[in-house]
Amino acid sequence: MTQELPAAPSKVPSGAPSATAPRLETRGLTRRLPSGGRQLTILEAVDLSVAPGEFLAILGPSGSGKSTLLALLAGLDRPSEGEVLLDGVAIQNLSEDELARLRRRKLGFVFQSFQLLGNLTALENVLLPLELAQIPNPVEQARKLLEEVGLGERGHHYPTQLSGGEQQRVAVARAYACRPPVLLADEPTGNLDSVTGELILELLERLRQRHGTTLVLVTHDPAVASRADRQIYFRDGRIEREEITRAAPAGAGLEAETARPEREAS
Amino acid sequence: MTPALYWKYLIRESRGSRGRLLFFVLCLAVGVAAVVAVASLSDSLDGAIRQEARKLLSADLEVESRRPLPPELEAMLAPIEGLQRVQVHEMPTVVALPGDGDRARASQLVELKVVDGPYPFYGELELEPDRPLGELLQEGAVVGPDLLQRLGVEVGDILTVGTHRLPIVAVVHDEPDRLSFAFTLGPRVFLDATAFAASGLEAFGSRIERRLLLRLPESISEAEIEPLAERLREALPTSGFYRVETYADAQPALRRSLNRIERYLGLVALVSLLAGGIGVAQTVRAWIEGRLDSIAILKCLGLTGPQVISVYLGQTALLGLVGSLFGALAGLAVPLIVPSLLGDLLPAEAIQLWQPAAVLRGMILGTGVALLFSLPPLLSVRRIPPVRVLRRGAAPLPADRRTLLAITLALGLGITLVATAQSRDLILGFGFAAGLGLVAGLLSLAAYGLAQAAAAIPRERVRRFWLRHGLAALGRPGAGTIGAVVALGLGITVVLAMALVEQHLSGELNAELPEQAPNAFLVDIQPDQWDGVRQLLESQQASSIDSDPVVMARLTHLDGRTVQEITEERAQQEGRGNWALTKEQRLTYAEQLPADNVIIEGALWDRPELDEISLEADFAESLGVGLGSTMTLDVQGVPLELTVSSLRTVDWESFGLNFFMVVEPQALEAAPQFRVAAARLPQGGEQELQNALAASFPNVTVIQLREILEKVSAVLQRLGLGVRFLGTFTVLAGLAILAGAIAASTSRRGREVALVKTLGLTRGGVLAAFAVEYALTGLLAGLIGTVAGGTLAWAVLTFALEIPWEFSPAPFLIALATGALLAAGAGCAASLRALTQRPVAVLRAEG
Repeated sequence: MTQELPAAPSKVPSGAPSATAPRLETRGLTRRLPSGGRQLTILEAVDLSVAPGEFLAILGPSGSGKSTLLALLAGLDRPSEGEVLLDGVAIQNLSEDELARLRRRKLGFVFQSFQLLGNLTALENVLLPLELAQIPNPVEQARKLLEEVGLGERGHHYPTQLSGGEQQRVAVARAYACRPPVLLADEPTGNLDSVTGELILELLERLRQRHGTTLVLVTHDPAVASRADRQIYFRDGRIEREEITRAAPAGAGLEAETARPEREAS
Repeated sequence: MTPALYWKYLIRESRGSRGRLLFFVLCLAVGVAAVVAVASLSDSLDGAIRQEARKLLSADLEVESRRPLPPELEAMLAPIEGLQRVQVHEMPTVVALPGDGDRARASQLVELKVVDGPYPFYGELELEPDRPLGELLQEGAVVGPDLLQRLGVEVGDILTVGTHRLPIVAVVHDEPDRLSFAFTLGPRVFLDATAFAASGLEAFGSRIERRLLLRLPESISEAEIEPLAERLREALPTSGFYRVETYADAQPALRRSLNRIERYLGLVALVSLLAGGIGVAQTVRAWIEGRLDSIAILKCLGLTGPQVISVYLGQTALLGLVGSLFGALAGLAVPLIVPSLLGDLLPAEAIQLWQPAAVLRGMILGTGVALLFSLPPLLSVRRIPPVRVLRRGAAPLPADRRTLLAITLALGLGITLVATAQSRDLILGFGFAAGLGLVAGLLSLAAYGLAQAAAAIPRERVRRFWLRHGLAALGRPGAGTIGAVVALGLGITVVLAMALVEQHLSGELNAELPEQAPNAFLVDIQPDQWDGVRQLLESQQASSIDSDPVVMARLTHLDGRTVQEITEERAQQEGRGNWALTKEQRLTYAEQLPADNVIIEGALWDRPELDEISLEADFAESLGVGLGSTMTLDVQGVPLELTVSSLRTVDWESFGLNFFMVVEPQALEAAPQFRVAAARLPQGGEQELQNALAASFPNVTVIQLREILEKVSAVLQRLGLGVRFLGTFTVLAGLAILAGAIAASTSRRGREVALVKTLGLTRGGVLAAFAVEYALTGLLAGLIGTVAGGTLAWAVLTFALEIPWEFSPAPFLIALATGALLAAGAGCAASLRALTQRPVAVLRAEG
């Protein structure tokens, strides 16, 4: 079932629709950090392409550079060299404020430590991106999203009043709120027990399929990664190997912006 | 962001940090309270002081002359509706006790005061029996107690005034406007116009000093009084014979103190507001530090830097408004407690409670200062990296030079504006802002140096853990040392400056208390009597005995032109006359000047070939003469030509004997003269002296000054108390804000405390480490702050208040120690909460 491939530049995996332009692409992406007077290379010349609607898992031990890659993909950090292209636009040259606006439209995030705003209720946390994007009837939308993650009754609670799993469900609802074409997840189950983690993954997958979202998930857990269409292994800032786990639904990206009928996660 | 969303977010953002924001509100409230309290108090105080000054003239306005008042004046006064007036005539005359037949039993030179109307307008007469003056005067004469004593009579006895006989019906112990002792030659006798007419004394018209006292209606504001006086001066013909005075002219010595106090009050308010601003800056800094994660998440969710800043600025504006409102209300309440402190200087009824202008001013200044001072810490919002959501220790984004420049400019401009608004002087405001900027720059540099030094110290060699930890905390990257040192240093600067200025001003006010001043003047001593009089004074234990010869003269020519010409010319050109030119002049001659005279131009008696005269500088100006001018005086028929060879200033507040004109001895020694003397008599010694003098030197008149001195010193004392009260209030408020600001900046240290506790450091050890860190910060801030504060105080004293600067080390040492202790104490106090909690609770909450 799994098939090992050597890391190759711009190699389009067979599972991805080659006809479609990549949603996310990196070219020679390098990140160095000053450390004790020397430059420490965290990420070195990474070439990567993610197709619309694809579910990509990035694996690797701690310090392998996978979170740095995620930060660069999101425009949260700036590369030392190389390019990040989101829908064909090089984002590394955008200003902080342009990046912020870009994230508002195109990117959703789920973090290991949930990163909910502590002074907002669950509902308000989900509401925020909707309001920022000026989507009509934001409250109604946010309620619906909370219901979808099974927290319809908990909207008025503050994050500290929710369990870890519940907080992460709010975070997932928030990440999907604006139907972003790309969702980036950093160890979303890292702080959760296995049962709760499983629940969150199912939720992510279900929403992804419904909205046709491209999902890039960073994890060190092979079990989590096995749910993805494709897995990339990182070591010492380089792609070590790549595995196609299963075929991505053909043409997923074409329907990325439209809601699909609900389908059970496989 | 839509306005609705902005507003929503504004409210949401305040959740969770409301405790901290309360401190923000408090800081600002204290500052604004000071602004409003000072604004409303200084209005009330100023009003009260003007009231006091009015009492000294007993009117708003006075027209004084030796001639009957002309019809032009009447024409000017008639249209003023609600104007009250009273005509007062004063003249020296002799009263007698009618004896048998034509021979008087005894007689006495008195100062007659004829009152025709509701006198006094301001202040009070102290009468015995206590009945209205007008009523008493219908029945007879009201006299001073000294007259009863000298003539040996009682109330009810008959007195002859001129050709009129009338009974003494009451004793007057005090009258509000009897400060001008120069015109008071003997005991007081009050008459009304009818009795005066009956006395036949009106015939001696030229000896009558006529004063028309005016009380203006409420509809004429303070500001309109001086222009009105000016119009009256213009309207009076040959105005050399008339003098128009407002109550503000009545007491130049008091007036100077008042001007100083007004400037001081402005400074107090400005400084309190700045102290509040520093508190705001520190609170916002701490607030942002607590919101780093949230802001990073917001940036992840797509909020731009300017949007985040605008949310926090909006918060600041809102809090600023709330704080200013509370402050303004508290400021309005301050005057409520003041009457108990300031006593009768500020009677409760003089205080206006609702002062919308003061409140509005406080609200605008308070909100403005809140916004301004939150700008520097808000600048850091721009630098918060969104990648923080993934990596806590992420380096901040590079600083945006343009934003930095814009904020620096805004801050400089803002402080200049606020300082200008408070001092009503653009140059002063600019200088203040520039000085503050300079001090802040110095403090930043020094703090940077301290952080570098602390990092460079080989800490391995430091044995004590707490000392090592304290040094490490100062030196570690991003310790916030600079912000803390700048805030604390600026705080110490303004608070110390405040304390020093207050100290000097209070000292100056006290020094003006005429404690050693003479309290009795003796006039009309014949030259050959002086030795005898001096011996008499000495036998009465009098101190500060001083005496000068006096020659009476009139000015005839100035620089070759007649005084007549000059007066007429000036009347035409300036529309006002010149009292100084036409009055009878009192001259003295002396080899040396009294100690309280300072020559500011020329030199004393340096031209042997000429007869020289030394003039008091202001007097010379009013005459229109300068160094080298010639003056011709008519000394009882003999012309005397003098050359002005020096100008000098005189400390009139010393109440010593002083003259506008001092002549070289050779020129005047031979002229007809008498002597005046001044002396300080022991309490209660006046009467004995009076009796002894009456026996040996009946022609010598004693003028008692004790009451006048007591009045002036009472006013000065109350002013001093007011200054001390406001100064203390500001210093205490400043200290409270500083302590709070340090506490606010330490609250983020909870996690650190928890960590070192898990590593096994005792609470005492943690406290010691914190104390070292903050005490070093405080010491550095104190060092620079005290130097800057001293400089600020010196500048304010020298340029704004014109009080000589005197250095004493104590306030500086106290400020230095206070800075260090305050910082260490507040730092420790703020870490107490974290110390008392179990470490796991803190770590979990912060995780």
